[in-house]
Amino acid sequence: MSDLTSAASVLAAALAVGLAAIGPGIGQGTAAGKAVEGIARQPEAEGKIRGTLLLSLAFMEALTIYGLVVALVLLFANPFAG
Amino acid sequence: MPELYRIRRLQATLAADSGSSGTPSKDGDTVLPSPEASPSELPLSQLSAAAAPAVDSFGRLQRRLLAATLVVTVVVTLISWPLFGASAARSLLLGGCCGLLYVRLLARSVARIGPDSRSVGRFQIVVPALLVVAAARIPALELLPALLGFLLYKPALLLQAVLAP
Repeated sequence: MSDLTSAASVLAAALAVGLAAIGPGIGQGTAAGKAVEGIARQPEAEGKIRGTLLLSLAFMEALTIYGLVVALVLLFANPFAG
Repeated sequence: MPELYRIRRLQATLAADSGSSGTPSKDGDTVLPSPEASPSELPLSQLSAAAAPAVDSFGRLQRRLLAATLVVTVVVTLISWPLFGASAARSLLLGGCCGLLYVRLLARSVARIGPDSRSVGRFQIVVPALLVVAAARIPALELLPALLGFLLYKPALLLQAVLAP
């Protein structure tokens, strides 16, 4: 792997993880905060709120995982390594 | 704040158990009927028994999710074995197991959310990272089947979201 390819791969991996974490991070924080508010308002609905939060967090975190996978593939199984 | 939360939770559970419903106030909060016995007068066994149903439904959902993920993983592995070979099926199975672990850790971090901590734990992200690194480093594993196996928890989630009562 040439130096240029290595440098570009490391930069791309950093950008992939960083950018992929921004949106889901904001979304997860908002969702968790609202869920806590909801549980405090309606404790009898705690189970349903937690269940819905679990499903939505799983879908949100998948977006972060996509970025993470792209970054790790670039670092450990780079298809441009030649 | 946690004390207030516990008292309100107890009051709401008791009100729900006794069949009486609260009346909504002007700010949307539910005004709960005052129970005859204050929470401090109730025995601990009655407290935990009253709070059990809300927590139990989350536990049921968790178990259903894990079971659905397991079933999907096993079915897909059995189908892919004759189609794509043993190596791909093995990687798929490993990815599915990692997906199971990931869902379990995510559920645990969701269960930990409360008035004391509002943030979601990030420990579960380690699971796919380790999976990708292992699949890239170990020659017996394949990267793409392992990733697809890990993502098998999503069909289970979708099924759960669609079929939930």
